[in-house]
Amino acid sequence: MGFRRISGFTAAVAALALTITGCSAGAESSAGEGGDSARTDLVVAHTAEPVNLDFTTTAGAAIPQALMENVYESLVRIDQSGELQPALAKSWEISDDRTTYTFELQDGVTFSNGDEFSSSDVKFSYDRVTSDEWQNTLKSKMEIIDSIETPDETTVEITLQRPSNSWLFDLASLVGAVFSEDAVDDLANQAIGTGPFSISDYTRGQRIVFASRDDYWGEAPALEQVTFQYFKDSVAAANALRSGEVDVLGNLQAPELAGEFESGEDFQVLEGTANGEVVLSMNNAEGVFADQTAREAVLYAIDEQTILDTAWGGYGTLIGGMVPPTDPYYEDLTGVWEHDVDKAKELVAEAGIEGEEIRFAVPSLPYATAIADIVVSQLEAAGLQPKIETQEFPAVWLDKTFTNHDYDMSVINHVEARDILTVFGEGSYTGYDHTRIEDIAQQADEGSEEEYVSGMQEVARTITEDAAAGFAFLFPNLIVAKAGVQGLPENFVSDSFPIHALAWG
Amino acid sequence: MTTRRSLDPTLDPTGSAELAGETVEPGAPGAIDPGAVDAAAKPRRRRLNASLVIGLILVGLVVVMALVSYVWTPYNPTEAMPEDRLQGASAAHWFGTDRYGRDTFTWIMFGSRITLLVGIVSVAIAMLIGVPLGIIAGMTNSGLLSGTIMRGNDLLLAFPALLLAIVFSAVYGPGTGPAMVALGIASIPGFARVARSGTLQVMSTEYVMAARAANRGTFAIATTHVLPNIAGMVIVQASVAFALAVLAEAGLSFLGLGTQAPAPSWGRMLQESQQFLGTRPELALWPGLFIAIAVLGFNLLGDGLRDRLDPKLRGRD
Amino acid sequence: MARYVIGRVLQFVLTAALASVVVFVLMQVLPGNAAQVALGTSATPEAVAALEAEYGLDRPRIVQYLSWIGGVLTGDFGTSYVTKAPISPVIFNSIQVTLIVVLASMALALAVAVPLGTAAAVLHNRPTGVIISGASQIGIAIPNFLAAIILVMVFSLGLGWFPSSGWQAPIEGFGGFLERLVLPVTALALVQAAILTRYVRSAVLEVMREDFLRTARAKGLPAGRALVRHGLRNAAIPVVTVAGVQLATLLIGAVVIEQVFVLPGMGTELVRAVSNRDLVTVQGIVMVLVVLVLLLNLIVDLLYSVLDPRVRRAA
Repeated sequence: MGFRRISGFTAAVAALALTITGCSAGAESSAGEGGDSARTDLVVAHTAEPVNLDFTTTAGAAIPQALMENVYESLVRIDQSGELQPALAKSWEISDDRTTYTFELQDGVTFSNGDEFSSSDVKFSYDRVTSDEWQNTLKSKMEIIDSIETPDETTVEITLQRPSNSWLFDLASLVGAVFSEDAVDDLANQAIGTGPFSISDYTRGQRIVFASRDDYWGEAPALEQVTFQYFKDSVAAANALRSGEVDVLGNLQAPELAGEFESGEDFQVLEGTANGEVVLSMNNAEGVFADQTAREAVLYAIDEQTILDTAWGGYGTLIGGMVPPTDPYYEDLTGVWEHDVDKAKELVAEAGIEGEEIRFAVPSLPYATAIADIVVSQLEAAGLQPKIETQEFPAVWLDKTFTNHDYDMSVINHVEARDILTVFGEGSYTGYDHTRIEDIAQQADEGSEEEYVSGMQEVARTITEDAAAGFAFLFPNLIVAKAGVQGLPENFVSDSFPIHALAWG
Repeated sequence: MTTRRSLDPTLDPTGSAELAGETVEPGAPGAIDPGAVDAAAKPRRRRLNASLVIGLILVGLVVVMALVSYVWTPYNPTEAMPEDRLQGASAAHWFGTDRYGRDTFTWIMFGSRITLLVGIVSVAIAMLIGVPLGIIAGMTNSGLLSGTIMRGNDLLLAFPALLLAIVFSAVYGPGTGPAMVALGIASIPGFARVARSGTLQVMSTEYVMAARAANRGTFAIATTHVLPNIAGMVIVQASVAFALAVLAEAGLSFLGLGTQAPAPSWGRMLQESQQFLGTRPELALWPGLFIAIAVLGFNLLGDGLRDRLDPKLRGRD
Repeated sequence: MARYVIGRVLQFVLTAALASVVVFVLMQVLPGNAAQVALGTSATPEAVAALEAEYGLDRPRIVQYLSWIGGVLTGDFGTSYVTKAPISPVIFNSIQVTLIVVLASMALALAVAVPLGTAAAVLHNRPTGVIISGASQIGIAIPNFLAAIILVMVFSLGLGWFPSSGWQAPIEGFGGFLERLVLPVTALALVQAAILTRYVRSAVLEVMREDFLRTARAKGLPAGRALVRHGLRNAAIPVVTVAGVQLATLLIGAVVIEQVFVLPGMGTELVRAVSNRDLVTVQGIVMVLVVLVLLLNLIVDLLYSVLDPRVRRAA
């Protein structure tokens, strides 16, 4: 139940109908200046704000969400259906041994500061990722690179140490961003890229204003100006949409409000997919949950459907594993641990953990606190004694739980694309015995495409069957917008919120 | 010492205590003799008792709810009944249910415990530290010790309750404990000032002068003469500080820096009710109403007690 | 008088200096490694050490304190190692927002409270007075964020008269500035007005009992006129005091309102900096707030000494 969706198509039709009948989108909107359709600007509300503009040294999803594809571009990008598409590279060829990639670059590309783009910028940028200049965890994705050659201005040859099925996909994320050599001194405050927009105003914690570039190499964006407005509180963001101060909610973090938006004609609600798996992580290495029986008890005790319905208004998808349905190696694992309170009680007794205190580290995020409430209720029903310890996110949670592994149980939305191997890999806070999947994963990455899919499926299945963690649900990408907005990025499958296609209908 | 009126940022919102209890040089014009009985103590007595009575009823309601919650509540507070989620008031759920299908009335009952706990602990901290300091400052008036205490008080005044609570939540993590301690510390200056000004008045009375002349020990004077005489003012201050603590805890929980899940707190209930304002406004109504009841109750109680305990004021206001 | 003023100013300076030490020490005990947070989860110990050296965190504490306080005194609050931007503009911008909101709501609250409180005092044994007193008691008991939520529901989402959130600097458009100011200021002022009404009422009641008023009335002046002619200056003394002290608490008390209305004020910046473990920014904001509170207390004291002849005589 509860999987509601208004497709972009339906919404577009609805918007069209509104325009034809001359009905403006909401009396409270700024319809005074001839309706929204004439507008060339748009305001998008987001709830996670970037602390600065530098994702090379600062962790967090909010920075690439704003900058990738809009300001910075990579050689390739991921489209809305999760497929690789050309970006700064017109085309590419892969050698027979699948280690050398030859990229043919676009012509006539400039950076927003006027610098010409050429193959040397690519080499500079990618060499820089593996240097000490980059501090972001994700830089490890580029460590597989053996060498980067630039035979001419528009050709880049990248050789990998070994074949990899995932590398080109990784390249579409922030590690593939191409910088101009002259413009990396103050990345925290100045973002200079080749993308369709440049940043015309940045007020930290409040807004980023994107202005479309006249000299963009590709198709010009429909809008002249797009503003990302940041709200700490999701209800305040929703209020701002209802009272007409913003036009789009980038990702509604108060899903119970979606129903109100759906009921009228002034707004469209899009439920797309995203990469975020909400993981009920358990410390496999130490404490209560080092014992697999104890972890199994938890998995029998929790009822993912109820969690989804009560904590997140029924928006989202049950997955049962660490792989979203948009990934090639997805497999439905929801049947592995069926909800069974009696079985859970038996296992609790078998593991001898009845009444034992379980430290439940909950990051101070809306979805996490919402899920924690219902999970506690379900665990108590099975005879467990979880004790919630709210940890400020990011500072305290990153420090105590993620870095120092000082926890029994936690809940977090892992948003990065194809992150199964980092979350359950060596040194991860889950403490999972990575030797159980390491070799399978390595072989899969080096093998053929079919071997990659079947190998990674085995990895995901092993993790789920080992009861390494609970998988509450796949986080929905809930976009709410005024009915007239078109070109919304319904699915959040890359690390970007692309604004290139946004337009007023 | 100066004759300026006390500047107390914890401020009793009821008004008159501050103005009546002003710090006045003993013997200066307008000094109040706590022993004196106002001859004009008769008029409007009935209305004054009304605030005491209403205050007692409202506070009593909260206290009874908290006590009863230890022996009986309609449901277990963490028991989720997803099939009954977001229901309106009914015979089964008097105040309806929240998004997990938990009983709102049960939560309101449990929430009263947190409210009282925060009030009691923060007031106790402020009182146990502030009152002795105030008495010492008052008894050693214009000495070095007194000066140090009052300067320390000034320093503490510079850190308002919410500021201290936000910093504490950063140091110790958000929670009821740090919030209570922060609110308690921030209320110390209020108690110290009230105790000091009361002590100054008592010290200037003839019986204390007589006791001093008879070489009674300082401690003995403090316990036998000063403390009983300032107890009334301190209790009034406690009642007012209690109301402020309840409001502050609600605000902190609303910011996510106060009581944490899964503990039932009225402030947290209000915070969580926000997404349901359009569909289930009563989820905000109930905690909001009970916060108001508690604050109003303690403020009225303070008002009423002031009139009762301070004979000078009786009938004046 | 001059001696009193000088003494009081010296006391302010001393307390502010002590407070700066307290603030600095408080920041040293914050858990969560700031360099770790700034650098992400995989930062190497070398990178953390390098960042610490870059920002001078490896120097002795006393040196760090002195260089910080030296900067603060010249208006330079340093550079945040989380946002990598100077902190002074953040403080400069947010302090304007907070001061505008707080001063406007205090003005509104006084505009409501002075007539209401006076009426409540003059009519203290009539139904009107009792109703005003009762209403102010109830007003005090309502959390200001609840008032804010209700205002948004009614005037923004319901009637669509005002925006539900946001801030616009006056120079970016005065209409938009005022429009966004109305709801937060009203929310803060409602509760303040209730508090101040009670103070005004007791102050006026107090004055009405004074001998000179009784004399004036005995001479045949009506109560109201006697009060206006002789009493209001005296009643103003405690009200000014209380308004000043309330202003100080509002500076930080506005934090919840700033959150509800998404105003980029001091409270918002403080909460954000705390959750980002942006210690240098936290330190700067707390210091500014503390000095503002002390400054307000100083001003109130000095104003009080001007208004109240007894202090002048005593000093």
